[in-house]
Amino acid sequence: MSALTPTRTPVPRPQATPDSPAPVRKARRGALRSERRGVRIAAWAAVVVCGGFALLPVYWLLATALTPREQVFAYPPRLFPAAPTLDAFAALAGNEQLFVYLRNSLLVSVLTAVLSVLVSAYMGYSFSKFRYRGRRSLMYFVLASQMFPQALLLVTLYSLFSAYGLLNTYTALVLSFTTFTLPLCVWMLKGFFDTIPDELIEAARVDGASRLRIIHAIVLPLSAPGLIAAGLFAFVRGWNDFIFALTLAGPEKQTLPPGLVNTFVGEASTAWPELMAASLVVSLPVAIAFIALQKYLVGGLTAGAVKG
Amino acid sequence: MPAYPALDTTALSRRRLLQLIGLGAGTLTLAACVPEAGPAAPQAAGTAAAGAKTDFSFASWSLTEETAAPAIRELLGQYADANDVEVREVSYPYNEYISQLTLQVKGGQVTGAVHVDVAWLGSLAALGKLQDLGPLAQGADYTQAGLTASQFDGVQYGLPWNIGAIGLIANSGLLEQAGIGDAPATVDEFEAALKDLKKLGGGVVPYAASTKAAQLKDVLIWMETFGSPLLDGGKVTIGDDASVEAVTWYKSLYDQGLIAADVDRFDARSLFAQGRAAIYDDAIVGRDAVVSESPDKKLADKLTAWSRPVLAAGDTPRALVWGGALAVVQGEGAETAADFARWMTSDVEVAKQYFAARGLPPATESALALPEVADDAFGAQFAERITATATTNPFWVYPQYAQIETVIAEQVQAVLVGSAEPKAAMEKAGAAAQKLVD
Repeated sequence: MSALTPTRTPVPRPQATPDSPAPVRKARRGALRSERRGVRIAAWAAVVVCGGFALLPVYWLLATALTPREQVFAYPPRLFPAAPTLDAFAALAGNEQLFVYLRNSLLVSVLTAVLSVLVSAYMGYSFSKFRYRGRRSLMYFVLASQMFPQALLLVTLYSLFSAYGLLNTYTALVLSFTTFTLPLCVWMLKGFFDTIPDELIEAARVDGASRLRIIHAIVLPLSAPGLIAAGLFAFVRGWNDFIFALTLAGPEKQTLPPGLVNTFVGEASTAWPELMAASLVVSLPVAIAFIALQKYLVGGLTAGAVKG
Repeated sequence: MPAYPALDTTALSRRRLLQLIGLGAGTLTLAACVPEAGPAAPQAAGTAAAGAKTDFSFASWSLTEETAAPAIRELLGQYADANDVEVREVSYPYNEYISQLTLQVKGGQVTGAVHVDVAWLGSLAALGKLQDLGPLAQGADYTQAGLTASQFDGVQYGLPWNIGAIGLIANSGLLEQAGIGDAPATVDEFEAALKDLKKLGGGVVPYAASTKAAQLKDVLIWMETFGSPLLDGGKVTIGDDASVEAVTWYKSLYDQGLIAADVDRFDARSLFAQGRAAIYDDAIVGRDAVVSESPDKKLADKLTAWSRPVLAAGDTPRALVWGGALAVVQGEGAETAADFARWMTSDVEVAKQYFAARGLPPATESALALPEVADDAFGAQFAERITATATTNPFWVYPQYAQIETVIAEQVQAVLVGSAEPKAAMEKAGAAAQKLVD
């Protein structure tokens, strides 16, 4: 056995007392087993309820996408579409504008994620590993920017971008999204950097590494899960935004959320099956990417939560 | 002691930090102070032949709607080809349209022709960037009702495109089942009819009146029915006996289950389309929505328009003006945009094409006389019974009318859920509305 293999501490088995008759011991074992089974069933029930709670909206989205429009509001509501149809999906095939919205969404979300991670990594590192006067005030100042109502910032940013000729550009979207993602990303990464021992950094300095080299060759690679978590958070923020994209992007740079509403939500009616089908189709690539990277998101978000 | 020893110290004094914060705050302040044009006297639009045609923008919430967009694009193409210009499209979803348009017009991002709900004209005119289209309106045979609905403060800021009203629409199939023949003339007869409809059972909501706060402004027309003018010479009258009586009656319908909880216009259309509501309030634009969403293929034939019942026989039935107009925002391409607005709203061939696509009532006498329009039985009935006596909401003349409607709606909702008495709530609503008016 390798020396690195963890050794298992033997757990003492419950010993029957000499005066316990066999039927009593058997009854106790049976009670214990049934108690464990009860706990397992309760745990599974909780998982099923929570899972249902989380997945029912997704199922309803799929069911609505498969339902003919005149049956969407049928009463009583049906869990399974009575006459499922792929008409809503077929209607999407001819709508090239949706792919323009998808491209715009991907572009601004990726750029937002990259910019947020880039800036917040250096800010977070500074807050975590350097000590200077005003550091704590600056950290809270960064967080305080989260407290402004978004609608208030929207008008201010609109005027700012208008003055600099940035309206209806990707730049306006990426900058505005980054404004909202930076505070959380900075704090998230600071927490992550706090978990990297200073001794490691000291050792690199002793070996002659420059500060930049320490950051790029040691700290950032060790912080990959945190960086991915911050990037995913920023990506999702950019992907989901409605009001900033609607106001700042203009018709050609519009992203999916306003694009879908503009396409399927009308003055008098909403094309629910088409809207649900489009939401489903455009969500799939992102959902897959998210599932693939979710372990980093959880790891990144919880890092630094417990010190020890 | 920090958890880890400090590696380095970078000097960032408190003074420097304050300087940085000041710099940031200064940037925000500067951004908020970007110069913009204040309200100015409206420029009068020239005649169509005044100069060479130029490219312009056309903003409309209908440009992406599946039923409206193809027809509008076809017309835009016809105008562009005939005049050798390019028409740039601008569109926002209906629910976001006025806030977005206000921001974009204020910021100078949108000029040219803009499609507006007649209720919004006051808010947009307050920006001081709309043209006076009075000269253009002369010579076209717009209906007087259309012209009046498209004015603000006596200035013709809009050219009427589709003018109608919001009134009661009923399902004649359900009425027949409940044994209701003629439309009830008075409020008492109306309530009796609702009770008959309730006896049908099966979850049928007799009257899918608005009960969600966002749409509770619908109760204003009932206040007018009960005799409250809402506004009298700048004084808000909500809180008077008539408005209290109207809200008390609305609450009694709610308590009797004759109207349902948590209903807005979208919900009402869905209930009506599914045959689960017998009567609801809507404009004629809702017809396509309820018919296309209904499993009942004959619903279109069952639609019937009711004049709103009156308090006492002989009173004039109340209805609220609804409609769209085209306004012109000063700036690039405005002159051609004004010409386009006149063509789009008054050309008979255009009206014919647009009516065929959407079934919305045109706003010129010649278009209303078209056989296609006259033969639309439900449209004609709606015009005769509802639009004929429609009036605008007196609060529309205030740019803050939406806030006024909201403060009133909040108090009506408090009455409906039982957390306030009608008299106290309406007095509170009136006071809050008065503050906004002042």
